Amino acid sequence: MRAALSILKKDLRMEFRSKDSILSMWIFSLLIFVIFNFTFEVSRLVMLEIAPGLLWVAFIFSGMFGLNHAFAVEKENGNLRSMALMPVDGGQVYLGKFMSVTLIMLLFESLIFPIFIIFYDLQLSFQMFLLIPVILAGTIGFTSLGTILSAVAVHTRDQQILLSLLLWPLVSPIIIWSVNLTGMVIGGDITQGFYPLLTRVIAFDVIFFAVSFMLFEFILED
Amino acid sequence: MRALTDKILLIVLLFAFMTSIFLIFNWVPPIKASNLSEQVAQKIFYFHVPSAWLGFLAFFIVFVASVAYLWKRKRQYELIAVASAEIGVLFISLVLITGPIWAKPVWGIWWTWDARLTSSLILWLIYIAYLMLRRYLPDGSKRANLSAVVGIIGFIDVPIVYYSIRWWETQHPKAVMASGDGSLAGPMFFTFMFSLATFTLLYVYFLRKRYQLLVLEDTVNKQFKEMEIL
Repeated sequence: MRAALSILKKDLRMEFRSKDSILSMWIFSLLIFVIFNFTFEVSRLVMLEIAPGLLWVAFIFSGMFGLNHAFAVEKENGNLRSMALMPVDGGQVYLGKFMSVTLIMLLFESLIFPIFIIFYDLQLSFQMFLLIPVILAGTIGFTSLGTILSAVAVHTRDQQILLSLLLWPLVSPIIIWSVNLTGMVIGGDITQGFYPLLTRVIAFDVIFFAVSFMLFEFILED
Repeated sequence: MRALTDKILLIVLLFAFMTSIFLIFNWVPPIKASNLSEQVAQKIFYFHVPSAWLGFLAFFIVFVASVAYLWKRKRQYELIAVASAEIGVLFISLVLITGPIWAKPVWGIWWTWDARLTSSLILWLIYIAYLMLRRYLPDGSKRANLSAVVGIIGFIDVPIVYYSIRWWETQHPKAVMASGDGSLAGPMFFTFMFSLATFTLLYVYFLRKRYQLLVLEDTVNKQFKEMEIL
């Protein structure tokens, strides 16, 4: 656990000094909203219907920056090898990286969400708090798979495109459910299916996390 | 011995395919449909469903071989996984091609974002990514490890993908093997099973051939390296 925490600490310190990931993710999301507005000129009613999808498109497209960045910085200085040589289980490295990627992404999401509310003129209500567990669960699913696949893709010639190719089909169930849940909250109709669906997302988060945690050892070794 | 087995397999396959084509187009009575094109289109079922089944079988073998590789670290498991993934992608591609050919006369559209269709497409994309990953990596133990990891995660994801879109309304015909209304009648069932067996045999043949080819490539590469040293 100590190794994981020190990786987390190092990553967060790096991020807060440079603000590379958060800034680029935030600006990129803003661009997505703007471009979307140009390309689909739709009425407010339709906009409300597609808003949940748009929010998650912004999250995952921007999230790719963070994921790509996570292992690219380690590779630059040969740090990946040092990590492999650390006398701890590979899972610890995964855990540390997963925590830092997730925290950075959650921070970015909380910074872009107010913009989203303003742009799409959503009604703030007490119910909106339900979005917190939804976004949390969706994001963790995205980053738990994303972290291990980023470590896979970093070894390739063209890591950015390959990470998208690997991650998006695999993470699509989580995204589909998260969009549905977000739609329920924003649309203001929390049906009976809401909590079972949320539980399901969390259950698959746990599966993805556990599998990645166990397999990470094999990615580090040469 | 190996060559002989392959030859026998090939001859059996040839006869099996001729027989199943005869069964499908001449023997099994056509379904009751409102028009001819639907009747004809139904025949594609005997190719479409076995291809889908083989896709799943192939990806399951990728999973098993990947686990075996990470466990035993033998090159042969890696090669089996790759060979099977390639064949799986081929068969799911066939599913994605034959499906729309059937759908156009029956549904009136080539494609719809329906649960079954979408999940098959996602499945295809997962294993395309697996093959792309191998293309982007230099040969070696690193590539073997990374692709084994993706092979395992990919297969674990398959049921989740199917599950995630299941609650959408599906227009896709239900699993006809189940008993009750719409289950396959005698001749159709026989023809279908025959076709399924033939396709499975084809998979076995493909897998053997592709594996042998990969081993051959390895040998050639090794000899090239030895020549370079000299």
